[in-house]
Amino acid sequence: MIKQHLENWSSEINTVTIGATKEEGGSCRYNIKIGGEKTLPFLFKEGSLPCKPVIAYEVWDTVPSDWPQELVRFYKDVWTNPIDWAEKVVKEYHADLICLKLAGIHPEIGKTPDEIAKLLGEILRKIDVPLIIIGCGDDQKDNLVLPICSQVTKGQRCLIGEVTQDNYRTLTASVLADGHNIIAQSPIDINIAKQLNILISDMGLPLERIVIDPTVGALGYGLEYTYSIMERLRLAGLNGDKVIASPFICFVGQETWRAKEAKAEDSEFPQWGKASRRGPLWEMITAVTLLQAGADILVMRHPEAIRKVKEYIELAYSV
Amino acid sequence: MEKIKVTFYPDNKTIEANKGQTLLSVAISAGIYINSSCGGEGVCGRCKVILKKGEVLTQPTGRLTLEERKRGVYLACLTTVQSDLEIEIPEESRLSFDKLSPEEVELRLRGLYGESEDILSSDSLLDEVFVHSPLATKLYLELPPPDLNDRISDLERLYREIRKNYEIPIMQTGLANIRRLSELLRSADWKVTVTLGKRNGTVEIVLIEPNDTSKRNYGLAFDIGTTTICGELIDLNTKKILGTKAIYNKQAVFGPDVITRIIYAQEQDGLEKLHHALVDGMNQIIQEFIQENKIDLNDVTCVLCAGNTTMIHLLLKIEPSYIRKEPYVPTANFVPTIRAAEAGIKINPRGLLSCVPGVSSYVGGDVVAGTLSCGLYKEKDLCVLIDIGTNGEIVLGNNDFLVSCAASAGPAFEGSGVVCGMRASSGAIQKIKIDPKTYNVEYSTIGSALPRGICGSGYIDILAQMLKAGIIDKSGKIKFKNHPRIREKDFGKEFVVAFKEETSLDSDIVITEADIENLKRAKAAIFSATSILIKHMGFDFKDIAKIFIAGGFGNYLDIKNAKIIGLLPDLEEEKFIFVGNSSLAGARQILLSYPAMQKANELARKITYFELSVDPNYMEEYMAALFFPHTDILRFPNVKNLI
Repeated sequence: MIKQHLENWSSEINTVTIGATKEEGGSCRYNIKIGGEKTLPFLFKEGSLPCKPVIAYEVWDTVPSDWPQELVRFYKDVWTNPIDWAEKVVKEYHADLICLKLAGIHPEIGKTPDEIAKLLGEILRKIDVPLIIIGCGDDQKDNLVLPICSQVTKGQRCLIGEVTQDNYRTLTASVLADGHNIIAQSPIDINIAKQLNILISDMGLPLERIVIDPTVGALGYGLEYTYSIMERLRLAGLNGDKVIASPFICFVGQETWRAKEAKAEDSEFPQWGKASRRGPLWEMITAVTLLQAGADILVMRHPEAIRKVKEYIELAYSV
Repeated sequence: MEKIKVTFYPDNKTIEANKGQTLLSVAISAGIYINSSCGGEGVCGRCKVILKKGEVLTQPTGRLTLEERKRGVYLACLTTVQSDLEIEIPEESRLSFDKLSPEEVELRLRGLYGESEDILSSDSLLDEVFVHSPLATKLYLELPPPDLNDRISDLERLYREIRKNYEIPIMQTGLANIRRLSELLRSADWKVTVTLGKRNGTVEIVLIEPNDTSKRNYGLAFDIGTTTICGELIDLNTKKILGTKAIYNKQAVFGPDVITRIIYAQEQDGLEKLHHALVDGMNQIIQEFIQENKIDLNDVTCVLCAGNTTMIHLLLKIEPSYIRKEPYVPTANFVPTIRAAEAGIKINPRGLLSCVPGVSSYVGGDVVAGTLSCGLYKEKDLCVLIDIGTNGEIVLGNNDFLVSCAASAGPAFEGSGVVCGMRASSGAIQKIKIDPKTYNVEYSTIGSALPRGICGSGYIDILAQMLKAGIIDKSGKIKFKNHPRIREKDFGKEFVVAFKEETSLDSDIVITEADIENLKRAKAAIFSATSILIKHMGFDFKDIAKIFIAGGFGNYLDIKNAKIIGLLPDLEEEKFIFVGNSSLAGARQILLSYPAMQKANELARKITYFELSVDPNYMEEYMAALFFPHTDILRFPNVKNLI
């Protein structure tokens, strides 16, 4: 019998709390804690893993133009109205939390800060799950709109993003003032991830309020590279480097549904099998792999894929 | 092809050009040097010229303001000739090759920050170690004339007399000297001065002159850098330094670093042009030495050059292209001593030129000379030599082993490739303090002149002070907007170091975010190369007993600030020793002592070259160093509390 070797890690991953209950001054039914790992993913015998990974449903403020039929069929009845969309994923699909993507504020579409403020106000009134808010990726526009989102949702302890090494000051200042958490995005680079965390915490935001988006690739599109970067970050965090001991958020849906293998219609590649199976499988496998790398929040799109990944998490955590 | 006439003002020089040629290349062929720190890529925006008459074609650039465009300003590198032209070149676009003034040279050699005793005196080392035996020695002889009892040949007679003074088993003489020997000996009444040159293990009679000229024997030591050329005139009899001069390397118009120059060498006549630009600069220095010291060119009998491998290739007009291509092999590391005239260097036509041997393509004779002069190879404890230049070189070792590597740092610390950068000469801001509350700037300039720009040591101070004052974050971005010294420009923010009114220019002296990025990359390259080399040999920074700092600005460097920005490791200050231009000091030693040359040859063979690019950790280490002071702050424990 080979003696079991258990690693004794010197440190743990920071715990980040998303969402504030009524008692805490917010309007959520519950809050969600992520992180807190004292060992690598699923090594329950070695150390405690107090928080289960969670899955956020993507909800857009505008109709997505490039989603394939396989996704459209679930959301087209509600996607002209973000409130309906959010209500559907909460009531029908039992979403743990919602990731509101503000694609509509992009200069090409041009939604105004006022429209977004109104939208958020309504979401807070009607939706009672914790909220993630993501900008459009245009630095200037994000710097204009996201601080307003931060103010409108003050006290709700949202997770807001994303900031990068070149553009982090504006949003960090807002998040700091309004009591939210922040998403720090780095381009699959362990050093930049760490540098950005230092820059943000230099501004006074505690490390316990930072979630790292390490930037991920879908299956077949650099997933293994993503994996090794996440693993190295996690190992460094467990080994005592407090600065990068942050939990991860992974944008699985966004990456998966860009892949040809996931979104191609049946008619394009009949030999690839049915899109209705192929697409969700692609998203699911990407998600499950990232769980092995240490993902704490998965942002996903396909309800069936999400259901399967949830089952997987439940099963893994029941042993 | 259609020939077009281009006239440059205010030089009033007209030259023929081909249609479609860039203004930059036309100006170079006219012998007019225009600033072009990006090497003609259209990036730096320093080659502004004004079109007075004629037609040109140009490419869009963000480097010109609307107002400049209206005035007919073009970038010379992006603009091609279409018809006969009249072009004005404004003063700020000219590359100035002015030499350093004596007091600047003094500063360069003595240092401003460190007390002068901090700087190793290479002269004392020389006396301690190497016997006086210069590359070329003059010997006055009075030969007994032949008679019937003593009938050996004229040449044998000369050898016999020389051997009475020196023990030289093998001697050689060129045919030209032999041809004129009989006439010369007789007309000089058998009283001649011979110049003996050490050439590749043998001794050559370089020169035979009538009468006694042995008191007049001069040599030159050169440090040929990618950005700066330094030369010294030395009395080979007394070992005295008669003068020191430094100029910018005129090759800068063809590109800022060795790589772009090697690429340029591949173009038509490229190698020829690079060779001439270099040799012209060296000849200019020699000419000025001759005039100022009132000596005869013929009494300058030898030249000793230390330079990086590429510079030596270009000096000797040797194909450099394989230096750049994997597996990075130079044509020659050990170049035999040749006649200086063969390389176009104007001294005595039969005078000798010798180059300090190199280690590899990217660790050249300058590093070998530096290792020799700082004495690292004699140390018992582990030491490091860091030469901070366009190509940064690092040597690690002691009397037991020597290993080296090279890091491409770029010319930022030499004042090139940064908006208001300049060489450490009169008017350069070289020391700075920024008030952390008001952001008021206090600075001192070289020669206490009105500021004209910022030199390397000034940039190190500025970065450290901006970090401490919280003006920039640890990634080098300027944090604020609402202050008169901070402005937002198309290419990012900038910080005003000196307002127009304080300067001798008609514009403010600024540091931009792009400058900071360049400086950050340069410091990251040097630090990570040092760190990887030390790790590769199984050591740690704490094992290092001494760090020798060399380089054009080595003397001025503020160690504390250099640690704050993460250029130098966070070690005790007494471990750092300035050696200034160690390459030039080494070249001088070798010029004056044959044993020093033998030692240099031995060192060049002994130093192991370590190729950073094959180390899988180098990129990672470099990325981690792209932060102030470093991504891993634990490696800078003392800096942690300062910023």
